Parts: sequence; C-alpha cells; structure tokens
Amino acid sequence: MKTTKLMSTIVLGAFLLTLMVAGAWAQDIDKLKFPRLNKLEIPKVDKVTLDNGMKLYFLEDKSLPLFNVRVRMNVGGYLDPFDKVGLASICGTTMRTGGTKKWTGDEIDELLEGIGGSVEIGIDNISGSAGINVLSDYTDLALEILSEVLRHPVFDQDKIDLAKMQERSAISRRNDDPGGIALREWRKLVYGSDSPYARHTEYASIEAITRDDLVGFHKRYVAPENIQMAIIGDFDRKAVTELINKYFADWQRSGVPVPPLPEVNYEWRSKVYYIEKPEAAQSYIRIGHLGGLVTDPDYTAKIVMNSILGGGFGSRLTDAVRTKMGLAYSVGGRYISNMAYPGYFFAVGSTGPENTVKAAREMIKQIRSMQTDLPTEEEMQKGKDGYLNSFVFNFDTRAEVVNRMMTYDFYGLPEDFLQKEKEGVEQVTPEAVLEAARRNLHPDSMIVLVVGNGEAFDEPLEALGLGPVDTIDITIPPAEEESEVVISPESLERGKGLLDQAVTSAGGLENLKKVVSIKRVGTMTIVMGPQEMPVSVTSIEVLPDKRRQEMNVMGRNILSIRNGDVGWNTNPMTGELTEFTTEDIAKDNKEIARNLINILANADNPYYQAVYDGVGELGDKAVEWLAIVGDDGETICHLALDASDHSLVGRKYWGETMSGEGILEEQMVEFSIFSGVRLPIKTVVTMGGQKITQLDIKECTINGDIPADTFDKPTQ
Amino acid sequence: MKRKSIWLNAFIGVMLLTTVAFGFDFTRLEKSISEHTLDNGLKIIVMERHDAPVASFVTFVNVGGVDDPKEYSGMAHMFEHMAFKGTTTLGTTDLDAELKAMAVEDSIWALLRVERKKGLLADSVKLAELEKAFDEAIEAANQYVVDNAFDHILEREGGVGINAGTGKDQTSYIISLPSNKLELWMAMESERFINPVLRQMYRERDVIGEERRQTLENNPIMRTIDAMASTAYSAHPYGIPIVGHMSDIMNYNRKTAAEFYAKYYIPSNMILSIVGDVKPKQVFKLAEKYWGKIPSGPRPEPIATIEPPQKGEKTVSLSDPAQPFFAVAYHVPQATHPDWPVIEAIADYLGSGRTSLLYKNLVKEKKIAANVGVFAGWPGSKYPCLAIAYAMPATGHTNEECQEQIFAEIERLKEELIPEEEVDKIKARAKAGFVNGLRSNLGMAGQLAYYENAWGSWREMFRELDRINSVTPEDIQRVAKTYFTEENRTVARLNTIEG
Repeated sequence: MKTTKLMSTIVLGAFLLTLMVAGAWAQDIDKLKFPRLNKLEIPKVDKVTLDNGMKLYFLEDKSLPLFNVRVRMNVGGYLDPFDKVGLASICGTTMRTGGTKKWTGDEIDELLEGIGGSVEIGIDNISGSAGINVLSDYTDLALEILSEVLRHPVFDQDKIDLAKMQERSAISRRNDDPGGIALREWRKLVYGSDSPYARHTEYASIEAITRDDLVGFHKRYVAPENIQMAIIGDFDRKAVTELINKYFADWQRSGVPVPPLPEVNYEWRSKVYYIEKPEAAQSYIRIGHLGGLVTDPDYTAKIVMNSILGGGFGSRLTDAVRTKMGLAYSVGGRYISNMAYPGYFFAVGSTGPENTVKAAREMIKQIRSMQTDLPTEEEMQKGKDGYLNSFVFNFDTRAEVVNRMMTYDFYGLPEDFLQKEKEGVEQVTPEAVLEAARRNLHPDSMIVLVVGNGEAFDEPLEALGLGPVDTIDITIPPAEEESEVVISPESLERGKGLLDQAVTSAGGLENLKKVVSIKRVGTMTIVMGPQEMPVSVTSIEVLPDKRRQEMNVMGRNILSIRNGDVGWNTNPMTGELTEFTTEDIAKDNKEIARNLINILANADNPYYQAVYDGVGELGDKAVEWLAIVGDDGETICHLALDASDHSLVGRKYWGETMSGEGILEEQMVEFSIFSGVRLPIKTVVTMGGQKITQLDIKECTINGDIPADTFDKPTQ
Repeated sequence: MKRKSIWLNAFIGVMLLTTVAFGFDFTRLEKSISEHTLDNGLKIIVMERHDAPVASFVTFVNVGGVDDPKEYSGMAHMFEHMAFKGTTTLGTTDLDAELKAMAVEDSIWALLRVERKKGLLADSVKLAELEKAFDEAIEAANQYVVDNAFDHILEREGGVGINAGTGKDQTSYIISLPSNKLELWMAMESERFINPVLRQMYRERDVIGEERRQTLENNPIMRTIDAMASTAYSAHPYGIPIVGHMSDIMNYNRKTAAEFYAKYYIPSNMILSIVGDVKPKQVFKLAEKYWGKIPSGPRPEPIATIEPPQKGEKTVSLSDPAQPFFAVAYHVPQATHPDWPVIEAIADYLGSGRTSLLYKNLVKEKKIAANVGVFAGWPGSKYPCLAIAYAMPATGHTNEECQEQIFAEIERLKEELIPEEEVDKIKARAKAGFVNGLRSNLGMAGQLAYYENAWGSWREMFRELDRINSVTPEDIQRVAKTYFTEENRTVARLNTIEG
C-alpha cells in the first residue's frame, strides 16, 4: 500500500540521462574477432645435478641486469620437536642473521644493503627457501654469501636472542587481528592442534630452543642432497657454473634421511566453534572440512568447481553474499588440493556482527547449491574458459616456470603435469562439476568457526542448527612458565659433570658436608616499585630442617621459625604469631630442598638428579643451566653456572612474591669463603626482569654455637 | 674484526667503481616506449615487451580521495567500485525497466535520507515504512541485473588480476590479458567509462561499509595511522580516510556519484598505459576508434586548500586490547618538490632494511622493538604529505622507549653530517630498486602513468635516479633540520588496555 503511494511521488532523475551518452556507442563485445595469440616460447630450463646431490636449474633471462637464485630446501617446521615448535623457523632466520665463518651477520647486512641486494632464508611448515636478488654485477659476491649462510652459519647468540624477541612479539600480537585468529585456529580444527600442519609457537616453545638445537638442526638437514637451486637472470652460463662449483661442489652430504611428512587424521564432524573477540568490528566466518591432493582423480573438475563456487566476482559466494546482499567486502572459498598433504575445503567471509548468522547461512546455502544446481553456461565459461584463456600467465615470468619445475621434481610429479591439468580442464563438463561437488563437498559434516563479538550477533550461533557451540579460548599462555626439563643419558651425564664443577667451585664436597649450622646477619633490601626498603635480617640454620629468621621491619620484629615438623610465623600485618599449616610446611620444604648447601652437599646423593638444561642468560651473564630434579621428577630449582669457568653464579626457581607467582632468578654477585666453603654474600633476586630483593650478608658463621632454645616455639 | 672492516671499506670502493661502469643500456628501454594523445586530450603510453604473449593495462584517472565532495568522503573510492557494475549494454536484462526501478530507489532514498537526518525527531512509523520500501525498491531493481557481467567477460577471455585501486591522489583500473585481447580491453574499458550504469549502488554502500570495517576499524595499526593523519591535517583532505567516514558512505546517492563522474572522468584527466606484447600503432588506432569520440573537457583543477604550517607538536593516543604501536609523522613537501629525493634518502637511511639507523638501534642493539620502518608520501604525494617513522615495541617494552630512540636518531641526522659512503649506499639501493621496479609489466605500466600524471611526462621516471644521485650529506642535514622538527611532528600511540 505504502509503496504504491510512494511510487506516485517518483520523478525520473534527470541525472540518469547524463550517464546515457548515445547508446549507439555500446559495443557488441561478442562480435569482436581476436587475432591468434602470438606463439608462446616456453623457456628451456637446463637441469644439472652435482655429485653431492644438489640439483641445479639454469634459466637465462637477459632482459634486465638482474641475478636471481631460488632455493628449495627439503626441511620444515614439521621436524620441530613437540616442545620446541619454532626451531626450524628460527634456524632459517638465524642462518642468515647470525653470521658465518667468514662474516658476521651485521657485515652481511652491510655488504648486501650497500648494493641494494638481498639474500634471505626462510623455513616454513613443510619446506625451506632461500634466495638471491642482486644486480648482475654482484653475482659472485651474492653466491658466496648464499654459500656461507647455507653452509657455514655460526648462530651468534645475540642474533638468536633477536629472533626469539621478534617471535615473542609475534606471539603477543597474534590475537590483534581477527582474520589471523580465524585462519590459525581453523588450521588447528582441521589438522589437530598438535599437528605439524597447524601447531604454532608459544613463549615456552621459543624459550626452550637453544643454540645447540639450531646447530644440530642445520647440521642434520641443511645439506646438499636436500637442496634444489634455480639460477635465473642475466648471467654467463660458463662463469656461473664455475662459481657454483667453487662455492658448493665440495659441500658434503649430511647422510641423515629427512623424515617423511606425517599423516593427517581428520575427524569428520558437524560442529560450530566460537572465539570471542568483543572489540571486533566484523565477524570472521570459516566453514568447511578436509580437502584433498592434486593427484585425486577429479582434481581438474574441482578446479572448475572452485572458480564457480568462490573464485571472485561471478562466483556463487561473491555474487550472493557481496554483490546481492551487501554483507561482506571479502567472501570466497575453495577446495584446496595440495601436493604434500591433504588441503582443506573452506568458505570464508567477514561481515558486521549484526549479520553474522545471516551471512553464515547464505554461505552454507551456496555450498549446498554446488551439489544441486548444475553449473550454467556462464559459470562454465568462467570456470573453464577463464582457466584456459589465462593459461599463458603460467609462463609469463621465468621465475614461475622454474619454481614449478622444482616443485614437480620434488614431489615426483611429471614434468608435463600442468599440460595434463590443462587437458583435464578442457574435458570438464557441467555434470562433472556437479559430480565433483557431490563427491568432495560434505555440507552435512562441516566445521563452522566464527570469530567476533557474540553479544552483537543477529542470532545465537546455535540457530545455524549444527548442534551445540564450542567456545575456543585463545588466551596466550603466559611467558613465565617453567619449561619441562628433558632428561636423557646425555643431559644427565653433562649435568653430573657440571654439578661436580659447581661443588668444586664452592669448596669441595668434603668441606660442604662438614657444614652443620650457619648463622648469617645482613640487610635485605625489598624493592617495591620505585621504593627500596632496607631491612635487617638475622638467620640461623641447622641443616637440613631447622631455621630461625628474624627481620626488623619498621620497628616490628618479624619472626619465622621452622623446626622439623612444626613452624611458626609472625603475621607482618597483625604482629600475631601463627603456626605453620600443612600447606606452609609443604611450601617451606621446597625452600629447604633448594637450599644451596643442601643441594651441593648432597651432590653424591642419588635422591637428586642433576640435569643439563642448556645455555641461557642470568642478568647479563651467559650461563649454563643445571636443573636439580627430585626423585618425584619435579624440578627443585635450577643452578646457573658461569658459561666460561662453570663456577656457581645463581639459581632460579618457581616461587611466590608479593606481586604473584613466577620464576625468580637469583644472581649471586659477590662471594666470600667461610670455613673453606665459598658462599654468596651479595645476591639479587629478580622476577620478569624486575628487581625484587637484594641481600647483603655482613657476618657469616659456620658451625658456631647455637643456643638450645633457638628453634623452640617463641613466647608471645 | 679489524681486518674485516678494512676489507669491507675496500670492497665498497670496488663496488662504486662497478656501479659507475654499470653496463646496461637504459635508453634502450626508454626507446621502447611510445606515446600518443587523442584530440580529446586522452594520453596513451605504450611500452613494447614481447617476451610472452601477454600485456598489462592501466587506466589511470587523476582523481582521488582529495576530490571527494563534502559529506561524501570516500566518493572517489565508491565510484571505483561502481565502475565494475557494467554499462547500458552489459549487466542488464532490460535497461529501460532497470532504469525506472533505479529511479524508484533514488526517490525513496531521497525521502528516507531526509527522515533519517531528523534524528530523534524522526517519525518512527514513517521511517520504518521508508526503510521497508527502500529495501523492496533495491530488490526490484536487482531483478534486472546480471551480476558482475563486466568482470565475467574479462575473466572468461583470460583476464587476470582484474582490480582497481583508489588513493588520495588517483584511481587506477588494472588488468592483465593475453595480448590478442587488446581490442576486447579497448572496447570494454572505454565502454564502462562512456556508458556506465550506477546499478546496485545502495547495496554497494554496505559492501564499502564492510570494507571500511575490515581494513580500518578491525585493524588497530591502521586505526592509529588514520588517527595520526586526521590529527596532523587540520585543513587539507589528506586527513580524511580514503574509504570515507561510515556516515558519509551511507549518504552516497546516484546523483552525487554521477556529478562526480562527469567532472573527473574526462579524457584530459585520464591516461591509458599498456605494457607488453603489443604494437603501438595498433594500440593508438584502436584507442582512436574506441575512446576518440568521448567529448573533451577542461582538466579539473587541483584542490585549493593548503595545509597551514604546523605550529607545535600534536599527539594522539588510542586505547585498544591490541599490543602497543608507535608512529610519528612530519609534514614534508609533495613528490615533485626539489627536496623530495632528499626526503626519500632520509627515509631509506633511517628506516629501510637491517642496516638502517632505527633498525640497528631499536631492534638489533637495544631489542626494544620487533620491527621499525620509515616511509614518505602518506597518504598521498601529489600535495604536501607526511613522512612517517614507526615502531612495534617488543614485548615488555613501551612506546615511550621507542619514541625516545627514534627522536634521538633523528636528532643525530641534524647534528652530524652523514658519511659520504652512506649516501653512496643509499644511491646503490635506489638503483637496484629502480631496476627491480622494471620487472613486471603491470608495475611498469603503473609507474609510467604515475610519472606522466605527476610530472607531465613519463620520461621523468628515468630521471628519478639522477635526482637521487645528486643528493649530498649536506642536503640530508639541511632537510632533516627543515622538516624533522618538534613543532612539525604528530605523535601517535596505540596504548594497550585490558580487553
């Protein structure tokens, strides 16, 4: 009714006419006749294999004075140990930045950036790559740098630290981008969160990676038999062959076989997952399931199917969700066929929160339509003719021709794979597309993932009718977690050796075992933000489990006594004396267990295991870490030994402070010798780089007289 | 260590000699380029390259976000979207019926717009009726539309990379095709600018709204950069985002879009640039056939607004659950200014690559930032623009720490003359960058059109290295002192808050 009334008020806009300049100019596109396409000269690649197994692919291109190398390495993040995810990637980065036998990383930066060139290395999940891009005048230098970084990296610790810092930063930023969250979590839903095809770095996995790990990874896998190298550009074939022989021919094989890629175990299911991102201006939606391989029999039908379903304008997803409904700027999807391991099928779109369920429904509807609606003539033109007419773009740059050849070679695909693919697409019929959709798409068994602000959704996600919704928590696990200590025959042997050195540096087992009691008097400085508060401290210990500690805090005497199975504390707030609970005793037992003299004097006690735990830093000192592990397998604490002379320089342990739990690092700054035992007299404790306390010992007496009532229950 | 650095210096000496002796003949490239201007003022540039039977096509229009009308920010970008909606013959099943239905849409929109603008005083019943009628009118017009028909033909015929981009200064329409489809492109491309139909416009506003959310609102770093530009500019439209403000996007209508089109999409304001397996003669002949009949018009004038000098530091802070981000912007002149090559040299020396001052200081040595960068020419470069330095603080480090070091490095540029060999390295990088820029047909076509538009001649592209090569250490010091000052800067910080 109302509409009709409004209709009567309509005036045809004159401005429309301004757009309609003489219609006679309109060209009848379909009448155009196109000349034959000029002959395509498919560039000839010259393949050579060196005696050490390195495969070379030469392709000259004199059109510009540039020299390029593309390297494919048969390594990948899938080889990372489960607790050191990121190892391969950091190895790739630091091979380039961490310097070589001949140059430091900084010198390589200067050499390359002084000529506007680049040599880069990267290792992803399933393969590694390296490359050169320089003006052809610098061919020799660039090849020498490439050979140095591939063959002789020295993994400078400072550049490892830099790479780790950058990776930590990436971890901290990974939830800033909703689209990034959606892709990352999607891969985990498809392949499993521990799968090498989906897993990602965490603070702990980065922290666990040591220089030795990088050296070992490089030595095992970055070897000539795992390398294919394409040389492209403006070069003299004879001269460049000589250079390659000079820099690579004497590179010895590693001989270590590269483990194969793992299988994918996909659990077919219909399930909705939700990730909360309250500040998101848009919801990111991903829908789909496991995909396939390029060797699947209906691979070419799926190429056409992909174009029709989600390949840009003219595809069903774009036309419906974007063009007709205006719900999204980016929407699309396809069935991914990989060479190495099964890809996945997905539709993706991002829309305002108020249209989330509406858009998801429409995406599912379009996926379903692929199994019911035979492709139209226009759709077949888009999918087939589009593919065939643009086929020439597979050959328009030299780099893609030779890259493709390397990849086919690696995966054992025939050299004419692409030609066969084209012939396959030529044969695809609308019925074949429908059949491929029916066989490969499973709309009744799909995963739906939505990242966004659920409170603003048009409807609850349950309304999709795909069952209950699982919420995924993407909180980033905090940095300060104790990493697992790896106990192996090697780490135990090395640990024992280091503990012996620590014992020796502390005065020897004989002297340590003589220690019965210690009395210490000194000052403890407590740091609270910008404030420092000095407190006088007296402590008396009779090993192993008797202790009395007195502190004077702002005129109040704070007492803590432990006597075997019992103990008492002064509450610093009320001044009242309270008896230790069972919990307090358990906590205090940990303190006793990590008592320095207890540990050192028990070096020959099978109760303790000393496990080497890699190199690291304490303050600004390079140290080697020694984990002290109890017979229950729990780590009691770590001792830090100076990396150069293996003397004891500190401890670290999981502990509690006024600002919460975390790893406490104790740096032993000054030492003195008492009764033949070398003990720290100045220690600084930090947590997360922040100083918490400092202890300065003024007096220390070993085995002095201890009054009999020292550890009795104090009278109020 | 000592030995190595001496060797390094010796090497750089050798390197400079080889640079001078650089044997490639760039005039050969220049000679492979032809140009032709039609009577109506349309300029066509062609570069022959017969390596593969393909060609890339750029239609460059001298219109951008700076030309957006008031209340219609993002209109240049909107029109770019509309240019894919087809023509009077492409994309419709019944033109007359469609135009009538579109007119209904426009009329209802005109009423709805008035009612919406009443805000709290709007008649809610009337508003609801209008909303419903508007939706129905959109659906009614939609029934005559063949979705994405324009793209369909180009894609069917082998077109790849069919796209367009809008900046603050220009709008470019790009595609690569098998080279035997030259005439197809001429026919299609001319047709869409001669006989456009602004169909599906009101749905496209929603698409652009989603584009704004996706690229700007959902991206904390882009939001910070956007806030920085809007703070730095008080008068000039460089302070307004290319995609436009959401309320302006939802204000678009056909009349304004058509007027915008009529003013800016005229031959004297457009350049066709084609690189690939084509013959210039044939290109010019076809251009005459398909584009020659468009009536000529005066080239629109540049905008008159000039940003007044900034008289003191400006700062802007955003709060977001995202990780921190720091950026600082300095007002610098436009790309055709004599100081521009020096500004580019400073951007390179300060923030490009692992040997740049900021990377060495903040990333390599102090490890307070995960990444840094410097670039000039934001958000455009046709008018006086911004040079921006930014840092992404490392975990546990702050925007303030990064700010302190960035300012310190900039101060050093003013206090100390940079070594001559560092300037030589900047020039070597510029040269390599230039050669790499010649690789792709599409990149080349875009650059030729850009130089033709900005400088009045594509040949200026080949003079770019000469300009960089004339930069001296004294120039760098002088320019740093002139523009990179406290009162001329705008500081932007993204501060992390609990989510």
